[in-house]
Amino acid sequence: MKAMIIDDEPPARRELRRLLDKFAWVEIVGEAGNVDQADEMIASLTPELLFLDIQMPGGTGFDLLTRLEDVPQVIFTTAYDQHAVRAFEVDALDYLLKPIDPARLTEALGRARSVNAARTPQPGAVLEQIFVRDGDRCWFVPLREVRLLTSEGNYIRLSWGKEKPLLGRALAALEQRLDPNRFFRVNRRQIINLDFIESVDLGVNGRLHAQLRDGAEVEISRRQARLFKTKMSI
Amino acid sequence: MNDAERPIAPLKSQLAYWVFQLTGWGAYSLSRFLGGVFLMNLPWVRFGLQLLLVDALGLGLSHLLRDYVWRYQWRALPIRKRILRIVAAAIVCGIPLGILTQFTDVALLQDPTELLEGAALRFQLAASIALQMANWSVVFLIWLTLYFTALAVREHRSAQLRQSELARALHLAELRLLKSQLNPHFLFNALNTVRSLIADNPARAQNAVTHLANTLRYTLSSRQDELVTLSQEMDIVADYLELESMRCEDRLRIEKQVPADASGVRIPVMLLQTLVENAIKHGIAELPAGGVLRISAAVKDDMLNLEVENPRPAASTHAAHESVGLRNARDRLRLLFGARASLDLDLSRPAVATARLRIPLQL
Repeated sequence: MKAMIIDDEPPARRELRRLLDKFAWVEIVGEAGNVDQADEMIASLTPELLFLDIQMPGGTGFDLLTRLEDVPQVIFTTAYDQHAVRAFEVDALDYLLKPIDPARLTEALGRARSVNAARTPQPGAVLEQIFVRDGDRCWFVPLREVRLLTSEGNYIRLSWGKEKPLLGRALAALEQRLDPNRFFRVNRRQIINLDFIESVDLGVNGRLHAQLRDGAEVEISRRQARLFKTKMSI
Repeated sequence: MNDAERPIAPLKSQLAYWVFQLTGWGAYSLSRFLGGVFLMNLPWVRFGLQLLLVDALGLGLSHLLRDYVWRYQWRALPIRKRILRIVAAAIVCGIPLGILTQFTDVALLQDPTELLEGAALRFQLAASIALQMANWSVVFLIWLTLYFTALAVREHRSAQLRQSELARALHLAELRLLKSQLNPHFLFNALNTVRSLIADNPARAQNAVTHLANTLRYTLSSRQDELVTLSQEMDIVADYLELESMRCEDRLRIEKQVPADASGVRIPVMLLQTLVENAIKHGIAELPAGGVLRISAAVKDDMLNLEVENPRPAASTHAAHESVGLRNARDRLRLLFGARASLDLDLSRPAVATARLRIPLQL
């Protein structure tokens, strides 16, 4: 498993490297001391696991995650910011407190390994989850649970469970990475998750309207209607 | 509710109650007595006797009423219910007093020859009793109003007292909190550094433990109002910087300039330390390339001038540097020196932050 250590303190990186020596299956492909460096290295090295510090010069660990398109598995390493990690709404990631307890590291690696075995991400492949930060809150959002994506300028509003976080990306760019079997562009501004369609009816203006399970209603543009009918075989 | 649970009024207010009670009733009786004797030419012995009898009952009833008010916690009732009860109590107390007044009137003061007979007597008596009852109900209404007003005033005073006691306790607690505390982030990072150094460089690890012990001892044992010499404070800053250097390695470079005449000046404990910590946290630690931290001191015009200068991210705002630590430091200075000391953060130069501290040499 390819891993990367991102921490601004050289002794902390050395210490983690030493702790990871015992795990032959973890290959440390690189180390970074700040967010910019990490961003570049992740793009070229494509690690499957990040050991990520939170407080770093030039940006936090959370900043790094919002910049990444494909977010690998993450284990946060932090001296005292566990509350920041707990701010996560989803229990989808791990954190280790520094100085790191070797037993806790073993556990975290075990979990990372089993998750990794379940998914085999390929670059450019369909995105399964996405890291979203809106204000003080962060989520790892599984895309299959997102009902609706609405473009708001250069941002996307995700309708997911009870939340509607704002994602700092353009809809057109994200569309390329969405599962085409699940997501459908209904009009210029919106993409819906076909799994969440409750009903489709013909509106008074002669256009198709799709009703989603949460009650939201989206209009399907004339251009997309034919495609939609084919897709849904209606 | 039993007696044990009833709040006991303090002795002072017990005394105040009796003074008011006796003065009030006394004045009321006296004014009626003088009016009756001099304006209406009533026989003073008989009239005095009637007033004594009636007003003694009034005093007794009002005292029982007070007991009742406390027993059933009228003060805790919502205002509407309380007013209803007050009016009802006034009417209830008015009844026996009205009857007593009327009958003592008849027995002691009226000329038997003036008495009417039969139906006319009954009618006059009934009307007269009703009038007396209404009269006394009003008196009790006034009494209850005065009593509850007095209670409200007392409650308000004691609330104010509690408030000021609270404010004083808060002030003390604040002072205790204002002292720069060891940043847990720093502590755990330092421990992590030590763990790493144990394998990399055992000798440095030993030094790191010593520096950490010094820093901890200084932080834990110093008192809020304590003053230390600048050189003592510089020692601890040096320990702290050693630890930070181990963490940041070549990103942190330090320059110190403390002339001999400044090193003996007494300054509030942990104050310079706070400035240095701030300089690292909001300045050097935020810069991927790090930078130079400059500490300089000078004595001029009976004032110690301390400067901590550090590079900062160009885009950083004043708000980002105005940490809790800095605000606390300012509050401590104000509490210890008043307006004679000052602490300013200068961000006028691009990408540089300078904290300037001015402390009088004499306390």
